Amino acid sequence: MSISPLTEKPYAEALPFSIGASVVVNGRYLSPPEDKDGKIWVRSSALVLRDAQTLYAMWRDVESAPRWQENIIEVVTTGPTTSRWSMKTSEDDDAKVIGWDSEVMADEPGVRIAWRSIGGESDNAGEVIFEAAPSGQGTVVTVLQEFRMGKLASAWETLVGRNPKQAVIENLRHFKALAETGEIPRSQLDPHGDRGIIGNLKRSSYGETVPTPTGSN
Amino acid sequence: MKAVCWMGKSSMETRTVPDPELINPHDAIIKVTRTAICGSDLHLYDGFIPTMESGDIMGHEFMGLVEEVGPEVANLKRGDRVVVPFTIACGNCIFCKKKFWAACDNTNPNAHLMEKAYGYSGAGLFGYSHMMGGYAGGQAQYVRVPFANVGPLKIENDLPDEKVLFLSDIFPTGYMAAENAQIQPGDTVAVWGCGPVGQFAIASAFMLGAARVIAIDRFQERLALARSLGAITVDYSEEDVSVLTALKDLTGGVGPDSCIDAVGLEAHSNELQGVYDVVKTALFMETDRPSVLRQAIQAVRKGGTLSIPGVYGGLLDKVPFGAAFGKGITMKMGQTNMHNYMKPLLERVEKGQIDPSYIISHRITLEQAPEMYKVWRDKKEKVTKIVIDPWA
Repeated sequence: MSISPLTEKPYAEALPFSIGASVVVNGRYLSPPEDKDGKIWVRSSALVLRDAQTLYAMWRDVESAPRWQENIIEVVTTGPTTSRWSMKTSEDDDAKVIGWDSEVMADEPGVRIAWRSIGGESDNAGEVIFEAAPSGQGTVVTVLQEFRMGKLASAWETLVGRNPKQAVIENLRHFKALAETGEIPRSQLDPHGDRGIIGNLKRSSYGETVPTPTGSN
Repeated sequence: MKAVCWMGKSSMETRTVPDPELINPHDAIIKVTRTAICGSDLHLYDGFIPTMESGDIMGHEFMGLVEEVGPEVANLKRGDRVVVPFTIACGNCIFCKKKFWAACDNTNPNAHLMEKAYGYSGAGLFGYSHMMGGYAGGQAQYVRVPFANVGPLKIENDLPDEKVLFLSDIFPTGYMAAENAQIQPGDTVAVWGCGPVGQFAIASAFMLGAARVIAIDRFQERLALARSLGAITVDYSEEDVSVLTALKDLTGGVGPDSCIDAVGLEAHSNELQGVYDVVKTALFMETDRPSVLRQAIQAVRKGGTLSIPGVYGGLLDKVPFGAAFGKGITMKMGQTNMHNYMKPLLERVEKGQIDPSYIISHRITLEQAPEMYKVWRDKKEKVTKIVIDPWA
């Protein structure tokens, strides 16, 4: 079951193909777009045992994004389709915060949401689609996200220790856990003995210096 | 609180660390009354499992008293006595719904590390490296238990800790190994490794109808324990003993119906292949030493079943897959789906069908733990199982 091909192009620019985040079109598997010309793409899917409408509502509620999206401090609704996003660029208390405005370009309840940034310190566009799983159990959530390697991406990579692609993958994982269990499992705050230099280097290389979102407000 | 910390390869230390705190709504804090060192902890001690960090609190076999529960834990209250499974399962994902608890989709915060190595991540585990979740373990006075509404088994009888502690890992693990062996009544089952999991696999194989169990090891105290369960023992270290010949001799040339590899990735072999594996792993050209797996594939009868409770971590060399294919064997393996077995096995203990405490050889304090890791790893002092009282 793939959704019918979409001809709309709700992105900052024309997509390399015209069907948004879909993985299957006319019976063919489609690989995600290639990174080129300073644009990077990431696509990730997750099977979530909740109905599409519930998951759509969770994703569309932009002000609750900090519950499950890494390093997002605050999202403020500024209009029916617009919002202002603030993101921390590292785990330090005095870390630089970057901001951007975002606009929803397509909004089909229970089916898909597409958005793009409309100014500020991030140049991104994305789409999420919700499809009934072939088994009839749960919903397959697929997110396709594009970034321009601007200030955001470089700040992210150098300071946060997560490249933007991995962050999208992790955020979908957090979204799934929160939707299925009501919490996002965390181990970073567990007690431990002295980490030492090597232990701290490992933490950083394993992505453990990026705080796991709390799952709550 | 006091806790056993991994400080590097072959280096354990008992240290004072902060007490755990409730973090998530389904958490509980458990005051640990008994914990144990598991054979799989020796793989961490020996540095065979990657992504350990200095200061990691060890231990995934523990039980205790509920100290505190999060707002979403309705089934437990302070003072409840619980045994905690070593795998953490959310109860709500597709794999938990399929009762494949060890494959839980949600409980590994570092799933991306495991995805790199295995394609997909399994459940988070207590005290078993960061690719397996990075959770603090239970060789400590207190431990935080995520999804306490799903995992912990309440003990509502007056059985001593030692009789129920092993429901946290090795008893269900040995039982699932026997279940995975697809034993039919009257079958002959061969078990490599007579450590704790091997012992419970032997006991469980008999429970599931095996007519004969053949137990293979080289340590007399373990072979004696296996014989006490009714197994026929083969000491592979004796001169002139070939395990393959012995298994043919003991099965009329047919081979065992099922083989259970309760040894895993740090096998010892007195054959040439043993030298090969030691050299290859030392040079990082191979991650595991799979001599038992090779032997079990060779030994099992045509159309038989190979069950693998022993842990394997990475890439194996020279595995005789042609033999596996040629004989048409079935292999079943994996981390234990703990939640399926804890309650039924507790009932067996309550009915007196088995007393799991028979394998305990050493009872120690947290301070003695680092030294005992070494003793067990070096197979000294006739160790069969070490239990820790964190408050002694």
